[in-house]
Amino acid sequence: MSIINYASKEIQFKIVYYGPALCGKTTNLAYIHSRINPENRGDLVSLATAADRTLFFDFLPLNAVVIKGFKTKFQLYTVPGQVIYNATRQLVLRSVDGIVFVADSQWEKMEENVESFRNLEENLAKQNISLDDIPCVLQYNKRDLPNVAPVNYLEFLLNNRKRRVQTYEVISSTGKNVFAALNAVAQLLLHKFSRDNDLAARPQTQPVAVPSRP
Amino acid sequence: MDSIPALTIEDVANIDGVLQDYLQKSESDLSVVIDKGGNVISQYGDLDVMDVTIIAALAAGSFAATKELARRIGEVEFNALYHQGNGSHIFMNSVDDDTIMITVFGGQTTVGLVRFYSTGAAAGLANVLRRLRDKNNPGFQFDKADIAEARIAG
Repeated sequence: MSIINYASKEIQFKIVYYGPALCGKTTNLAYIHSRINPENRGDLVSLATAADRTLFFDFLPLNAVVIKGFKTKFQLYTVPGQVIYNATRQLVLRSVDGIVFVADSQWEKMEENVESFRNLEENLAKQNISLDDIPCVLQYNKRDLPNVAPVNYLEFLLNNRKRRVQTYEVISSTGKNVFAALNAVAQLLLHKFSRDNDLAARPQTQPVAVPSRP
Repeated sequence: MDSIPALTIEDVANIDGVLQDYLQKSESDLSVVIDKGGNVISQYGDLDVMDVTIIAALAAGSFAATKELARRIGEVEFNALYHQGNGSHIFMNSVDDDTIMITVFGGQTTVGLVRFYSTGAAAGLANVLRRLRDKNNPGFQFDKADIAEARIAG
């Protein structure tokens, strides 16, 4: 849920990196943190176990660009990928504005990718959000590994819906396409935000009934 | 979650008025109003000490994490949480179903005083936020060209 503050001239957006365990969500945030000027970002906060598995979430605040005099602030979160932490994922998804789904391209991770994607849909549905309505991009991560599935196959598994989303072949450990995916979701959510708040374009009253096609 | 369409300068002044009065009476350092998703709604006090957005994200997580604990003893959720440090402490309390107020304070005051005044401040904030949620969205738009140029640089 974005918040516009006319006093501080700021708009806040929340982007969540979602995906199965060990797919590279935290690595995405660590790379972004390492490449953004410290003046434009806060600390990367990781609530992880001793073995560096995300226990609660990772969090990175970014002060992004100024549009029409308003500073846009993006708050990037990851969820814990392990199946048992579903309650935590639901919590992190609360008032989300955009999603980056990170899929692990390795053959043996396909079932986990599909399971995690279904879990994302279910958890959004609990907030009355449809995946078709929320800005979302897909990352096919770890493309540098030898045992990866072809992109066509990943598309068939994860991007086979009526509304297909933008996809990126990513190597999060080197940063390849990490910013491309982040910018894509940021653009999508800025457009959606602008559309949702355009009072002129919004119908004042909803039609009571819509005639069906003959 | 009931969304807040926009915070106008007047809305922020109303919230800040409640927070300023609360900080003076409770002798606290900083108060931050957040939604339960971790977004900052408003803040007042000594802001140089810490990154408020990080405090907000962690506080929302901390509040939600204790919900299950509350349920185990027959509560829906805890209305207030207190984290005691050696010199600095944090007190958090519910404002309404969607909003939390965080107070940071030091040794110059006591948790009892903070807790006492936080109840009135939360009620005052709940009133302001209720009026705010009932208001019409004033509307806001970006130009497509502006959005196209808005890149997060790496």
